[in-house]
Order: sequence, then structure tokens, then C-alpha cells
Amino acid sequence: MTSHYAVRLRDVGKTYLLGNVTVQGLKGVSLGIGRQRFTVVVGPSGSGKTTLLNLIGGIDAPSQGVVEVCGQEIGALSDNRLSDFRARHVGFIFQNFSLIPVLSAFENVEYPLLLTNTPKRERRDRTMALLEAVGLADQRHHRPNQMSGGQRQRVAIARALVKGPDVVLADEPTANLDSRTGRQIIDLMRDMQAKSRTTFIFSTHDRQVIDHADDILTIQDGELVGADRRAA
Amino acid sequence: MIATLSIAARNIRRNGRRSLMTVLAIMMGGIAVLLFGGYVSAIFYGLQTDIVRKTGHLHVFKTDFFQYGAGNPGAYGIDGYDRVIAAVTADPVLKSMVRVVTPTQQVMGIAGNFTANVSKTFFGLGVVPADRDRMREWNGFGLDVAAAAPTGLNDGDAEGGVIGQGLARILHLCGALDVPRCQAPKAAQSVAVAVEGEPVIAADLIAADISAGDASIDPRPRIELLGATAGGAPNVVSLRVTKAEGQGARELDESFVALHLDLAQQLLYGRADKKVSSIVIQLEHHADLKPARARLEAVFAETGLPLEVREFTEINPMFNQVIAMFSAIFGFIAIIMAVIVLFTVINTMGMTVMERVNEIGTLRAIGVRRSGIRDQFLAEGWLLGVIGATAGLAAGLALAGIVNRAGLTWTPPSNIDPIPLYLQVWGNSRLLAGCWVGLMLVATVSSLWPANKAAKMVVVDALRHV
Repeated sequence: MTSHYAVRLRDVGKTYLLGNVTVQGLKGVSLGIGRQRFTVVVGPSGSGKTTLLNLIGGIDAPSQGVVEVCGQEIGALSDNRLSDFRARHVGFIFQNFSLIPVLSAFENVEYPLLLTNTPKRERRDRTMALLEAVGLADQRHHRPNQMSGGQRQRVAIARALVKGPDVVLADEPTANLDSRTGRQIIDLMRDMQAKSRTTFIFSTHDRQVIDHADDILTIQDGELVGADRRAA
Repeated sequence: MIATLSIAARNIRRNGRRSLMTVLAIMMGGIAVLLFGGYVSAIFYGLQTDIVRKTGHLHVFKTDFFQYGAGNPGAYGIDGYDRVIAAVTADPVLKSMVRVVTPTQQVMGIAGNFTANVSKTFFGLGVVPADRDRMREWNGFGLDVAAAAPTGLNDGDAEGGVIGQGLARILHLCGALDVPRCQAPKAAQSVAVAVEGEPVIAADLIAADISAGDASIDPRPRIELLGATAGGAPNVVSLRVTKAEGQGARELDESFVALHLDLAQQLLYGRADKKVSSIVIQLEHHADLKPARARLEAVFAETGLPLEVREFTEINPMFNQVIAMFSAIFGFIAIIMAVIVLFTVINTMGMTVMERVNEIGTLRAIGVRRSGIRDQFLAEGWLLGVIGATAGLAAGLALAGIVNRAGLTWTPPSNIDPIPLYLQVWGNSRLLAGCWVGLMLVATVSSLWPANKAAKMVVVDALRHV
């Protein structure tokens, strides 16, 4: 039976060792994020937003509890299986864009499809479709250092979506952009989310992003203190 | 398509200056190994060619001659050596392998120039001149060297002989034989006093028997060779010295006499049956050495001949010593170069990994496996190795070509005269391939540690890295 949740967390906790001090990043968080929703995780700095996203994305392991993404308990996967899972099901958009500097815009977007052994022709078609969707078809041969911050983040969005992931995780994607560009990026992501019918999960302080959210999860001191479902 | 190698190439270009320095280090390592390897290779093949030209590949002795024959050469001579030579040349397997099969007789005794009243113990080699001259043309390794000078002996001149330049000097024959850098002593008469005891007495006896008129017929100087026959009786033959030839080592130069086989046999056997101390075999191809030896041993075993076969390396132990010494030096230099390349590439790749921590985190996050990260950095190290090794080979070949055409000379340990300095790099596919593969492997192995470090990074820590 297919769950209507894209993501489920059950009693998830995460502790870190900072020197000799144990820090609790997350404390017994349980939540469910619906499929094809535009969910925003809000909270002050150090509240545990990034930790939550990292656990959902399978790039960090919980100290306790169960993380389930698309019905798969990812804590049970080996490192290789988890990498393959990320390659097929999870897209990432980073605050600092994190494009591969030696690859062109086209190649950066195409790269995730290489990991899933997508045929060449399909790779080219899907990459061009995404670049056109984010308005960068003409800049496809440009390297990241030849593009503005907004353009780089558009490439990053295209890269996250090109493989048709079930979940896209965006960690403060507008933090390094000016407000006008940030607004454009949010509109683009909302538009892309609607078209691709993918689950988007953001962590942000940005009011503009929060205003566009379907659901808002509020984290404070590592605990889930609010879950606001705003639209159907 | 974005291949791992394509990304590796771009990353190498991205850090152009650092990559260039790394490639230069690999290149310099390659040049050093190639040039010295070419030098060692030239010595290895040059020395073998020289030895094979002078002494052949294989020596057939009567059993135990090699161990004990020097004490009693007559007793360890090969009887009916013509039949042995015929058996070797007629054998269907050996026929295609052998180039020259020739008998040799060793003799020892005292050489005297009694007109100057001087004498010296000698070591002589009785040979068939035409066979020896043919042996001196051998160039089985295809080296860019001329054939060695002929022996100076002649099949039709059984009394002719060649002596070492040192022996010529001692026997006061410098002027008569035009020996370079050799002057007659100021008090020639006093030299004979230095040789005391029996040799002087023998020389005096011989001088009385030699017809002084012979020297006036032929302008070439004569010396007398005194030896003992196989039966133990003293015997003497007269040798007409056609030329003096440098022999490399001083001891040999001051005692060596090359003479016609007939004359050597006359000295050692007198009127008795003639034997030879060994049969020398020169092969067409050096690679046939082991098969030819095995076949010879099989033939001798089948025919019941009490003969044994020795290779030129056993006859000339100096060869193995020289090669071992140069191989050790080459190995030492190669190891030093490998260590330099190793640390240079480790340093370069280590810096590359540290600069790309965030990129590593990103790649891992979007689904690249640890092995994919490791392969990416290994590919970069491999590519640096390939570029550096290829450039090193090209530069090494060019430099070797320049050195070979520069007319430089050097004097090897076994020579008196200098020979051209030749670096055998061009066409030395084993050295070239070994150097290229070695550098490429060292560069790749050097990348293993930084690549593993990159592969083991914790994704969230890498993403957090600024």
C-alpha cells in the first residue's frame, strides 16, 4: 500500500559531539510530510532545520528513531544503497548553489542522469527541457563562474529536478540572493513544484518562502513545536 | 557525455600552475630514469656485444677443464676436436643457431725479446684467425656500432701474432710496433736484470738457438715463446708480432699473446697429437643461448663425449659484476625518482582534495558513491602520471638523441681507449614502456591515499566546509 506521506519521521533524535560536549540537534521529532506538498521548515538559527533536512535526505544518520522517505526506511540501507537512493529519489538545492565548477550549466544539470545510467538522448532532452524551464537554455555552455548568483541557483534547481525525484530538499536556497532574485527563485520553484508535482521541503528564514508554503513546520531547540497545514 | 576522465582533465587544467609543476616533477623523474637507463642499457648490450665478439657465447671444454684445466692444459685438451665441431655444425637443431664454431688453445709460458735481453710471463690464446675475424663482426643486438677491428692474424701466416701493448712495452717493442704513448726505457740493458732466476737462464739458452738472420728478412719484430709441452718437456716457438693491441686491464695487457692455433698447438703438444683447450661457439641470436646450450649438452650426452658447456658469463664473471653494479645504481636512482614523484603527486592531490571538500559533499549528496569519488581523484592522479610520463619520454628521447650526436666519449672499465657515449633510449621499447608504466603507476598509487581520504569524508561535514 502506498503511503500518502512522502516523508515520515518517528521519534527521531540526533546528537553531536562538539569537543567533549554532547549537543542535541533534534529531540524525538515525529512528523509526516505529504506527497507533492510545498513544505517549509522554519525556526531560528541553530534550531535544527538543516539537521532535519540532512536526515530526510539521507546524508546524515539519526542517533535514534526511524526516517522513512517514499516508504523506504533509509537508516536500513548500506552506504552504497543509500547513495543510489539519493541518486534516484532525492534532489538537493544548496544555499551556496554547489555547482561543479568545471562543468557547464548543461553538464551540471545532466550529471545526476549519468548516475542513473539514463540513455544519452533522454539525458539531452530532459536536460534541455529543464534548462528551458528555468530560462537558461541560452547559457547552457556557461560555466558557473560565468553566471550570476540567481542563474547559478536556477541551474541548481534544474539539477535537482532533472531526474524527477520524489523529494526536493532546499536548505535556505534564497539566503545568498538579493530579495528580488530571491523572489524570482521562489516563484520559479513554486512553479516547478506545481509542474513536476514533486514534494519540496525548504528550510528558511525568508518570509517570502514562508508565504508560498503549503505546510509550515516550526522547529525550536531541536523540537517540533508547530505544524501548520495551510492549503489542500 | 561527461566522463570521469573528462572531469579529471578539466580539474587538472583548472589548477594549471600546480598541475604543470607536478607534471614537470614527473617529467624530470622520467628523463633521469630514461637517460641513465639508456646509459646502463648501452653498457649492458655494448659489453655483451664486445664479449661475444671476443669470446663467443658458449665454450665447450673437456669435463673438469673449467675447474682444473689451467694446472695441466695438455691433460684436459679435447681430443678429436674436428669431430666435435663437425657434430655441432651438422646437428639439425644447432645448425640454424650457430654462427661460428672454432677451436681455441690456451698456452702459458715466457715471452722473450732476446735481442733486448728482456722476457715476461705470458698468457696466450691460439685461434683460427678467419673464424675470430668473423666473430668480431657480430652485432646481434643491432647496435649502432662498427664491427671490431680484425685480429691482425692471418690464416696463411702461422707464425704471426698479436701482443698486448703492455707486453710490447715490457719487451721493448714500442718503436717497432708503433705503440702509442710508449717510450723505450733510458737504460734498456738494465731491464733484463729485473728478471731473475730460471727465466733469464732459459732466455739465454733460447737466444743462442734462434737464428738471428730471420729478423732481417721480415721487418716485423720476433719474440720467442717458451712453454712446457703436455709431456712436461720445455719447448719454444718463434712468433712474428704483427701488432700490439690494448687489452683493457693492465694485467692482461702486459701478458696477452694472440697467436695462430697451429703455433699454439706446436708449443703445447710439439709433435704429439694436437688437441684444443676449448671449442668456442658464437650464435646468430643471443636469445638462442639457453636452447643452444641445452642442445649441445644433449648431443654430448647422446654421443658419450666427456664435454661440458659453459656460457660467456661464466667465462667472464666481470660481466655479471659490472651489470649488477649498474643495475643497482639504476635501481637506486629509479627508487629516488619514484619517491620524489610519489610525494609530489601526494602533495598535489592532497591539496586538490582539500580545495574541493564542498564539491565532494555535493557529489555525494546527489548520489555519487564513495567509489565514484575515489575513482575521480585516482583518475586525476593517473592522468597527471600519463601526461608527465609521456612528456618525460618525449623529452628523454630528444635529450638522448642530442647526447648521442654530441660526440661525447667515455672509457669503460674494461677498455683502455675511450668509446662514444651512447644512450640506448631510442628503440629500447622495454626501457621506454617500463619507465612510462612505472611513472603512471607511481602517480596513480600516490593518488590512492588522497582519493581514499576524499571518499571517506562525511557528507554533512564536507557540505559544511567553507
